Amino acid sequence: MNLHSNHKLLFSVIFLGFLALSMVIAVGPAIGVENSMHPLPGAKPMTDLEKRGMGVYIAEGCVACHTQQVRPIEMDQVWGRAAVPGDYAYVEPLGMWSPYAPALLGSSRTGPDLTNVGARQASETWQYMHLYNPRMVVPDSVMPAYPWLFEVVAEVGADDAVVPVSGEHAPPAGQVIPTEDGAALVAYLLSLRQASLEGSPTDHSEGVAGR
Amino acid sequence: MAADSASVVPGGSALARDHSRPLTVGKASVHPVADKDTQSTNLIFAYLGCAAVWLVIGTFIGEYLGIKFSSPDMDHLPWLSYGRLRPVHTNTVFWGWSSLALIALAFYVVPKTSNRRLFSIPLAWVSLVLINLAVIVGDVLLLSGINNGGQEYREYVWPVQAVFAVGAILVAYNLIQTVAKRDVEEIYISNWYIVAAFLWTTVVLVIAYLPFYQTNPISESVIQGYYMHMGVGMWFTPLALGLTYYFLPKLLNKPIYSYSLGVLAFWTQMLFYTMIGAHHFVFAPTPWWIQTVAIIFSVGMLVTLAAGTGNFLLTMRGSFRTIARSYSLPFILAGVLAYFFWSAQGSLEALRSLNLVWHFTNFTVAHSHLTMYGFVAFLIWGGIYGLLPMLTGREPRAFLVGVHFWFAFVGLTFYGTALMIGGTMQGLSWLAGSPFIDSVNTMVPFWLWRAVGGSLMFLSHLVFAYNLWTMRPARAPAPVKAPAVTARALS
Repeated sequence: MNLHSNHKLLFSVIFLGFLALSMVIAVGPAIGVENSMHPLPGAKPMTDLEKRGMGVYIAEGCVACHTQQVRPIEMDQVWGRAAVPGDYAYVEPLGMWSPYAPALLGSSRTGPDLTNVGARQASETWQYMHLYNPRMVVPDSVMPAYPWLFEVVAEVGADDAVVPVSGEHAPPAGQVIPTEDGAALVAYLLSLRQASLEGSPTDHSEGVAGR
Repeated sequence: MAADSASVVPGGSALARDHSRPLTVGKASVHPVADKDTQSTNLIFAYLGCAAVWLVIGTFIGEYLGIKFSSPDMDHLPWLSYGRLRPVHTNTVFWGWSSLALIALAFYVVPKTSNRRLFSIPLAWVSLVLINLAVIVGDVLLLSGINNGGQEYREYVWPVQAVFAVGAILVAYNLIQTVAKRDVEEIYISNWYIVAAFLWTTVVLVIAYLPFYQTNPISESVIQGYYMHMGVGMWFTPLALGLTYYFLPKLLNKPIYSYSLGVLAFWTQMLFYTMIGAHHFVFAPTPWWIQTVAIIFSVGMLVTLAAGTGNFLLTMRGSFRTIARSYSLPFILAGVLAYFFWSAQGSLEALRSLNLVWHFTNFTVAHSHLTMYGFVAFLIWGGIYGLLPMLTGREPRAFLVGVHFWFAFVGLTFYGTALMIGGTMQGLSWLAGSPFIDSVNTMVPFWLWRAVGGSLMFLSHLVFAYNLWTMRPARAPAPVKAPAVTARALS
């Protein structure tokens, strides 16, 4: 009866040992985070339009190149103050096919961090032009264009935001307006602004590491 | 050699030999005879055939994605846009190529080392159908913009990944039953690794896909770090290592250097590796203590690495001439060295000081290709070229295997070097506080070199697919009629 000849013993140790370690290092800490999650006093819940926009953000895979986490280190100060868990408190799962919070923190900065993009680029028109074709506003950008978030119409309605498109990117005729998804995505991007930490119990702004 | 023949050699005989030296190293033929168990051979070949198709599709997509960095306006179709296509590339090569190929080899190694047939061949076919189905449906959904919430490497929505999980669990059951009914006393070390990979991955998939403790982005990130690390390190790594514990001694025709060292590497793998997932979120607002634990155990992984790699290299010691004369063993040597160097690189990336430079950059992309490709894919290829001729009785053309090896190796070297240098420059640009667009412009030449390397890698996969085809089982079974009764008695 030893590990080398008793497969039940060997495989049980392998299975239960790993399960126990996983509980300690993953499931336990995740539950701990869930229980200590509180929104910041200055933060606003997401509107339905912004939630839909977050869905577009996830569906188009924006998280492959954009982070939404400002680390407590000097090089990240350009993106805003250091992120705290409460910054993400109002983000909810997208639905039954995706019952997990979307992976907004990201893992790659091929493009800039978007934590505070709503404050940094507050112009709706700029955001529309940038999504229609990023090279209209940032010539060296390598970001994909998203023309399917827009449509070309002959007559513009009263509520429609017209996207000023000219030159090589312009359609042969008509005006460019965002689709509902396009408008939702821009609403979401503009909603990305860091809330103030003042008066918050999670105020860590004093203790910035790496200075 | 040239100096020798010019100065020392008196006669012309050596010179004449030099002139007749062939362009390539002569590779030893293995004079294979087809395996009698044609059912098992057909099953293994079907798995490998599907894997090769997914490899070609998945890396063609990868190549296309790479070119997009240099030419972002080459198409404006939603289904082909970068954000949707990237997870199609990663999931296809993970679940379609690597997983199916590793399972194929496990279906040979586990029965062989258990001295019996696979527990159920029909069940293995069911698994093949389920896994292929998951990859097809999962990919189509990703292309149409339906994913799990953008979590890397688990982008397939849960009903799709559930189909994959059922397929994998059936394989696990099949393999465990094979080991349980083995006709030898001891459980060979390969089977520790292979069965463990299935048990661990079952746990990983269940934890990753239960939603209750992942309802906000921070708790989700805790699970994501765990998942994306264990999905690689408790699935592909132990499968590849377990198979190598069989193929290396088998192909060298000598025992593994130290069985105990293999056991040590095994338990440290489970203990250390499990703890290090959070190093993917260093400096993130996830609990600080799991990041610190992750960094400490990342360094501890050097023990596992040294034990595993040392064991393989000491087994190879004195046999390097055999390796040079073989067409399969060079892949295994390259894979073992890649395992050591690029896993050690991963430990370095976890250190806070280096993470500062490399996190979020293209250096990470280099790392994941150097490991999943340089380590895992090369060991798979070594196993396939070592095994299939013994099963089907057909050898590939040694020259074309060489083309496969060098295109893949040189391609990966270009790929990895370009992104390691470029990624470092990207990080230094951010540290220097330069405008963000500078880090994009810095990458432009490196993205081009990455595409060149990627093209060579893709070409090598076409050659591999052809080589696999030349090793296919003969259509007509061997003329020797082996009645079922006899076959059972023999096995």
